[in-house]
Amino acid sequence: MDAIQLLLLSVTVLGVGALASLLLNSSSRTSRYVAGIGGMLGSLAALAAAIFALISKPATLELLVPLPFGHFFLQMDGLSALMTGMIAVLGFAASLYSIRYLEQFDQRNLGVLGFFTNIFIAMMLLVVTVANAFYFLVFWEMMTVASYFLVIFESEKKETIRAGYLYMLVAHAGGALIMVAFFLFFAGTGSFDFAVIRQAQLSPALRNIIFLLAFIGFGAKAGMAPLHIWMPGAYSAAPAHASALMASVMKKTAIYGILRICVDLLGASMLWWGALVLFFGAISAILGVLFALAERDLKRLLAYSSVENVGIILFGIGAGMVGLATLQPIVALLGFLAALYHALNHSFFKGLLFLGAGAVDYRLGSRDLNQMGGLARRMPWTGLAFLIGALAVAAIPPFNGFVSEWFTYQALFTASSDPNFVVRVFAPLCAVLLALAGALAAMLYIKAYGSAFSGPAHSQSASQAQEAPGGMVTSMFILVVGCLALGLGAPLVTPILAGVAASFPGATSMPVASSIWVFPAKPDQAILSMPMVAILLLGLLAVPFVVIALYGGFKAGRRIVPDPWTCGYGYKSRMSVSASSFDQPLKLTFRSLYLLRPAIQKPLDATAAWAKRFRELIRRSEPLIESWITRPTARAVEYIGEHIQALQMGDIRVYCLYIILTLAVLLIVIFK
Amino acid sequence: MTGETSFTASMIVIGLLQALLILLLAPLFSGFSRVLRAKMHSRKGPSIYQNYRDLVKLMKRQEVVAEQAGWVFHLTPYITMACMLLAALLIPIFSVQSPFNQVGDLILVIYLFALARFFFSLSGLETGSTFGGIGARREQLLSVLIEPVMLLVLFVIALLSGSTNLGIISRQIATGQTPFYTSVWLGMLAFAFAAFVEMGKLPFDVGEAEQELQEGPLAEFSGRSLAVLKWGLYMKQMVLVALFLAVFLPFGSMTTASLPGIVLAIVAFFLKVTLFYFIVGILENAMARVRFVKASAVTWAALGAAILSFVFYLANV
Repeated sequence: MDAIQLLLLSVTVLGVGALASLLLNSSSRTSRYVAGIGGMLGSLAALAAAIFALISKPATLELLVPLPFGHFFLQMDGLSALMTGMIAVLGFAASLYSIRYLEQFDQRNLGVLGFFTNIFIAMMLLVVTVANAFYFLVFWEMMTVASYFLVIFESEKKETIRAGYLYMLVAHAGGALIMVAFFLFFAGTGSFDFAVIRQAQLSPALRNIIFLLAFIGFGAKAGMAPLHIWMPGAYSAAPAHASALMASVMKKTAIYGILRICVDLLGASMLWWGALVLFFGAISAILGVLFALAERDLKRLLAYSSVENVGIILFGIGAGMVGLATLQPIVALLGFLAALYHALNHSFFKGLLFLGAGAVDYRLGSRDLNQMGGLARRMPWTGLAFLIGALAVAAIPPFNGFVSEWFTYQALFTASSDPNFVVRVFAPLCAVLLALAGALAAMLYIKAYGSAFSGPAHSQSASQAQEAPGGMVTSMFILVVGCLALGLGAPLVTPILAGVAASFPGATSMPVASSIWVFPAKPDQAILSMPMVAILLLGLLAVPFVVIALYGGFKAGRRIVPDPWTCGYGYKSRMSVSASSFDQPLKLTFRSLYLLRPAIQKPLDATAAWAKRFRELIRRSEPLIESWITRPTARAVEYIGEHIQALQMGDIRVYCLYIILTLAVLLIVIFK
Repeated sequence: MTGETSFTASMIVIGLLQALLILLLAPLFSGFSRVLRAKMHSRKGPSIYQNYRDLVKLMKRQEVVAEQAGWVFHLTPYITMACMLLAALLIPIFSVQSPFNQVGDLILVIYLFALARFFFSLSGLETGSTFGGIGARREQLLSVLIEPVMLLVLFVIALLSGSTNLGIISRQIATGQTPFYTSVWLGMLAFAFAAFVEMGKLPFDVGEAEQELQEGPLAEFSGRSLAVLKWGLYMKQMVLVALFLAVFLPFGSMTTASLPGIVLAIVAFFLKVTLFYFIVGILENAMARVRFVKASAVTWAALGAAILSFVFYLANV
């Protein structure tokens, strides 16, 4: 079996799981298990496919499909294999998680939800492996529609419907731009096949237009600011396992799209492309995390934080594109490496955090941070998993987020010595914004963990919460292991990702890792050893213990008192800092940036209102069409039919006469 | 791995020596600034060794902890100290080579501070104490304002040396390969300011009521935890000074490892740190306090200096 066959097996298993789940809809419990196990098995097959493709050669397969739009190519090159692996791991964790998590919804149509979840995973797998633009679009739209149904699962809530509508609007607007981009490709090359498009010589103007269309179209789906407005609503409305999948991997299919079209197919030859990507990266990184800080709803907070992370990924892609345009292979390699690494890391830690938020929601029935508090003592495993996710996303060493941000810094640093002055100005500024975003992200996750898991319980349900069920905790810890492995195993992971980054046209392969070290192609520029950081940190933890032991400090023991010190007053849990007061000084400091939020929201609400008006118009114009066009036509047809009946005598001789007359008329017309 | 990134026995010894020295001397320099403050207030003040006595005494005391505090709270003092020790291994203090340069570069050092701060702030929220919570959020706001400044300055200096390896930066400044351009001077100014704020000095902190503001999370610690945490914070101040000296004033450090060289380097380091603490002490006590919400108005000056340094770097002067 090769990688493609495994992939087809995976899609088949997912499809069977989806259908079985739909058929068993009448028993929620059964369909929950069938969909979950189907998703897990399908994901395992996809993971095997990804590993096969990464260790052996890239594989392709053409399926014969009787449609005239070119060939149905499935292709597993490095980039596709990486994305497949990412989707597979997250698909596995989310499916395992869903089995217990969805228990609370047993009164609903879980069969339908399971159907759409498995279809969603299958479509993501096909999107990242199909090598033909037409089929790409088909799968892309099916993926969007499947995820839309996941978003509107709790459809009796008004905000859910609103979130779903906004999601649909932005996703389809983006989808339309992508479609136009592909049609322009078709117009320029006469083919939908990626292989043909890659070879084609398109005019610069056409390339520029395609780049803009694809970048904005995919950017909308990736949640790049200011096109991110659908994300907080959609992610918080969807069930936790679905929002984990959407935030961690569906977003990466859009990153895949940007890499595939703008870099792989178009070959990022213009400098301003990279500059534009860096610009949007900067906006997303800063605005995303600032807006996240103002949130109290845990899932909305995580959604905004995803905007920030897309910004960081875009920093990497932008640096890589700048490197390609200015013919600096090291910059290109480091930029794409950083982007791929961060994309991979983000799917692990953001998936983990969404699953953690779902576990809290499962036990508390609330996503409001002000209703939580003290959960680390009642849900210790969830708390630990969430803390590791928080440390990873805040780029704290020795976790995985730090490694990818380190590579992003190194890419920007290398780009900073570019001969081009504009690049030399903007690359260091992007690095500073990355540092600012990092500091803000640390604050954000201190707020998130601190108000949910530390301190006193702020509500009745929080004080009675229990640990999440074993299946949910297990799936979180699968991702925790992933976060640790991607951090400590950096010297092993980096060469694989560098291989993918080097496969883009114009990039070249260079060593970036050896034994326990990683370095940005030039070891003299910088060097990092994650295993040693971890070992040294753990080892140095012993120093204070030894010092205390030397002074006999452990003999003194520890006394537990019920309350913290409050200057002699009686302690109330209200005295602790809440989620909404934690960011208050920040709101003052960055007041002007927070004013942007309504400014961004307004045109979108206006667009939504316009779309609604348009729909109204169509609805109202429907009767008009009926009374002016449809009904008169129908009446005319009826009238003619009635009168033509007169010709029908039922007599064979009369019919013969008709034929002869017709022939005579025709002969006269032709020969005159 | 050869040349700049070699990992020799002598460097390991020097690294461990650096960490040990920071560990042992940090309370002394904090004591020095206490004495200095007392003298400026025309008080008699404590002995310069008072911090050691405090630490030893605290370590023998029973620890009193609020019930709500979890393992994050209990681990914080140890993590803080471990981070500072690791930073002390990475920063070139005695020689112009980062002793453990195989482990990481200046970006790692900056993020080690972030790791310590993450746990420090979280420990303030762990107990549900009001002081802890407010201290945590102030700590975070300052880091948001200061961290980009530090990174920009270090980035500019690193660009001048073509490397983010602290040892290479230090050597190039020490040997004059990176001349003292205007950008370096401005960067020095901005970084000194940033270090001043990071050390928990005025204009945002009150010397005498340290648990009031930035050190709010300390309020709930007691006994050995308080001792280790305070020690860790003393070390943080000294590590910051060492980082400043390594990047901007690496004079007197060894270029090749030798016994007389190391003695000379230790003496030079001691004098430089004393001078830095002296200047900081004078400034700290000569300054008015600023309302915390005005913090950004003051730190913009540091950011401005850092950006100017960057502009001068671009202009090559």
